[in-house]
Amino acid sequence: MSFVLNGEKHSIPAEWADEPLLHFLREHHGLVGAKFGCGRGECGACTVIIDGVAMRSCITSAADVEDSEVRTIEGLADRETLHPVQSAWLEEAVPQCGYCQAGQIMSAVALLEENPAPSDDDITAAMDGNLCRCGTYQRIRKAIQRAAEASA
Amino acid sequence: MKRRTFLKVTGGSLVALFGTGAAIWSQMPVLPTRPAPDAQAAAGWISHKDGKYILTLPRIEMGQNITTSLKQIACTELGAAWNAVEVKLHNTSMQKVRSTVGSESIQYFAEPLAQACAALRDALTNGKTVRDGERIDPRPVGELKSFQRSAFDRQSPELVHGREIVTGKPLYAADIHRPGLVYGRVLRAPSSSEVTSKPKSWNINAAHVVPGFFGVIEDCGPAIGKATGLGIVASRPGALSLIADALDVEWEIDTHSPQSDIQTLINVDRHLNNGSLPHTVLEGPLQDSDWDINLRVDLSFASHGQIEPRAAVAEWIDGQLKVWAGTQDAFFHRDFLADHFGVPKGDVTVQSCRIGGAFGGKVPCSVEAEAAALARAVQRPVKVQWTREQELTQAYHRPPSSHRVKARLDNGRVSAWDHQQVSSHVIFTPFAIPKWLQSGTDLAVGDPGTARGMETAYQFARSRAQYQLERLSVHTGAWRGLGAGPNMLAAETAMDEAARIAGMDPLDFRLAHISDPRLKTVLERVGSIANWRGSAQRTMGRKRFGRGIACGIYKQVSYVATVADIILDDDGEITITHMWCTHDCGRVFNADQVKAQCEGNLAWSIGMVLCAGLPVKDGRVVAEGFSDSPVPIMSQFPEMTIDLIESSEKPVGAGETALMSGPAAIANAVRSATGIRASRFPLEPKELAL
Repeated sequence: MSFVLNGEKHSIPAEWADEPLLHFLREHHGLVGAKFGCGRGECGACTVIIDGVAMRSCITSAADVEDSEVRTIEGLADRETLHPVQSAWLEEAVPQCGYCQAGQIMSAVALLEENPAPSDDDITAAMDGNLCRCGTYQRIRKAIQRAAEASA
Repeated sequence: MKRRTFLKVTGGSLVALFGTGAAIWSQMPVLPTRPAPDAQAAAGWISHKDGKYILTLPRIEMGQNITTSLKQIACTELGAAWNAVEVKLHNTSMQKVRSTVGSESIQYFAEPLAQACAALRDALTNGKTVRDGERIDPRPVGELKSFQRSAFDRQSPELVHGREIVTGKPLYAADIHRPGLVYGRVLRAPSSSEVTSKPKSWNINAAHVVPGFFGVIEDCGPAIGKATGLGIVASRPGALSLIADALDVEWEIDTHSPQSDIQTLINVDRHLNNGSLPHTVLEGPLQDSDWDINLRVDLSFASHGQIEPRAAVAEWIDGQLKVWAGTQDAFFHRDFLADHFGVPKGDVTVQSCRIGGAFGGKVPCSVEAEAAALARAVQRPVKVQWTREQELTQAYHRPPSSHRVKARLDNGRVSAWDHQQVSSHVIFTPFAIPKWLQSGTDLAVGDPGTARGMETAYQFARSRAQYQLERLSVHTGAWRGLGAGPNMLAAETAMDEAARIAGMDPLDFRLAHISDPRLKTVLERVGSIANWRGSAQRTMGRKRFGRGIACGIYKQVSYVATVADIILDDDGEITITHMWCTHDCGRVFNADQVKAQCEGNLAWSIGMVLCAGLPVKDGRVVAEGFSDSPVPIMSQFPEMTIDLIESSEKPVGAGETALMSGPAAIANAVRSATGIRASRFPLEPKELAL
């Protein structure tokens, strides 16, 4: 079994196949950007992009991504050059505790790839499943708008 | 008794009650057992070598972004470029610092850091160094460069850790990896931690066939409350739940009478019928008659809801323990672990990691001790991260509270005020002190955390505030702002009702009772930016529109006023459309991040009023996830306008202040839109439906 992770092909070892993708990424691949928040797909902290769609890696098994393309937050930047969404996040100083932000950013990237000029309602619809307890939603919205403008 | 006097008496009685034995004090992390730092202590936070500086952060970083603000102060005083100062999070090898609680990082740490950095700059200019223990003569604050500049005319630098966060670099305890790492969990009985429980039997054979099974560990660290656990270890984290299922542990649980109805247990009227409540915050002489306002306000339990479940990695090497932890007090954890495992403190190092939200909930030593016990048993590094269900069932929560607030009006002014509350513990909790000691604090001093916010900022001719504590089978503790959020929600909705009955505008009515010029200013300013006086009751189609206002002073040092606009649909569903907040926390070093703290507190205000519940059945929490204990989502979030007062007053905290006025502003808007004065929070939309 194999899959593509941030542009590189990797095998899925048999002992990790039934493991949640989140743990496979964090503990086997050392990609700790995606976070464990609830293990039930309710908070979005573990969001990664699978074949272009923002998915919850805590309720997706490693075997589920066989032959798929998985993108994590570690794969967004081009070496030192940040992805426009990452830059917008820094310019709006979005993070407080920061724990949910990798998931927020991956949901935002998936949204903008699908819909480069989202309305306010589009943003809300795409982001409502990503919880932030610190209360950064206003800045998240502004950062998505800023990234959309930067890419326009 | 004024609050200041009350606290003084409280502190004195505590020393009398507990003595000053270090063993007991070390078990009480939430008490201010360590002095605020001075410049001498701060000299240990900053070091210099070859043109580069290292700032060892004396605080825990958990989202206040205090790292950025303190680095700004250091750079300004040192005259150093942003990149010339590297910030490191502290471990317990540095000199002890206070717990990161109570929004104190700027209030108590900014000036000592500035003094130490200024002294280092002068020494370097003169070709010297500042040696350990060398005396630093603090200079007048006016001579500190970082205290001269206005934060309002410049942008915030890029957040410290911001780049790491947006690129997914390891920052948090669960991100730590060690060679040979395995994964642990401590299972506990599905019962209240007030009830003695322990594992009785389990199916070890079934566990052995789960791929990744590593071991079952009976000696798995201290009990949580009275709940003794059973440890499990696996080579992959996902195996832990499968092992737990396979073991099918049978628990021995003491028979008990569960607290079947906690809301009835704390019902304030039930207690008032039996006489007056034992603890006094304000003791105005009042007669129980002729009240113009007589309001009952009840709040449920609330979880912290931080997105990061607590996590730790522990490793023993040659009898020495190292723990990577996301805790609000690394030193308390070090002392606790040394005590529990019977090793010298010098053999335990706790490395603080960035915390993914704490809000008062990450003070006790729990997951750290679990990881250390399992690591010792399997002689490998062990990572433990609680499941969301463990967070909800094993951590402590904001206590529910039941309030009765009464007021008498004379000539359009409140002539008598009475706030009575029954709740549970916030500082002297089951986590902090043993039950016998809590019985003592209950008798002697009550709990100043529960009482916070019952002192009133208004000039009332007579005012009384009293409360009672009930120990509950669901453990309670510190939550953002301690008692201030719930107490001020009750008090500021009663004040709003008083304005209505007096026939006065709620803003003018408040102003008429305020003598403090800073409180007056924030109230007038928020009225101005929200165009309060230009607004009127209106409907938008069938939707009902309402505005509400509230204000407060937090810990007698910071000032806030909030206006909320809402609309309600036929089903009683509330949409908050806009919130305005004016905030005065004295001198500001990073205006953008103070605003971020205000936004966070308004988010918590929305949660308190709209959704913060926690299901409890037979005296224990039965929640499993965010769907049972919700936090606000983006679609519940209004536009927010934050207005900071530019001030040269002494800088104080901003991390909890806006929770004094946000919830009541929303509740008062609901009253204005519907005519219904809600008495239970979170609100039930069906009670507001047309």
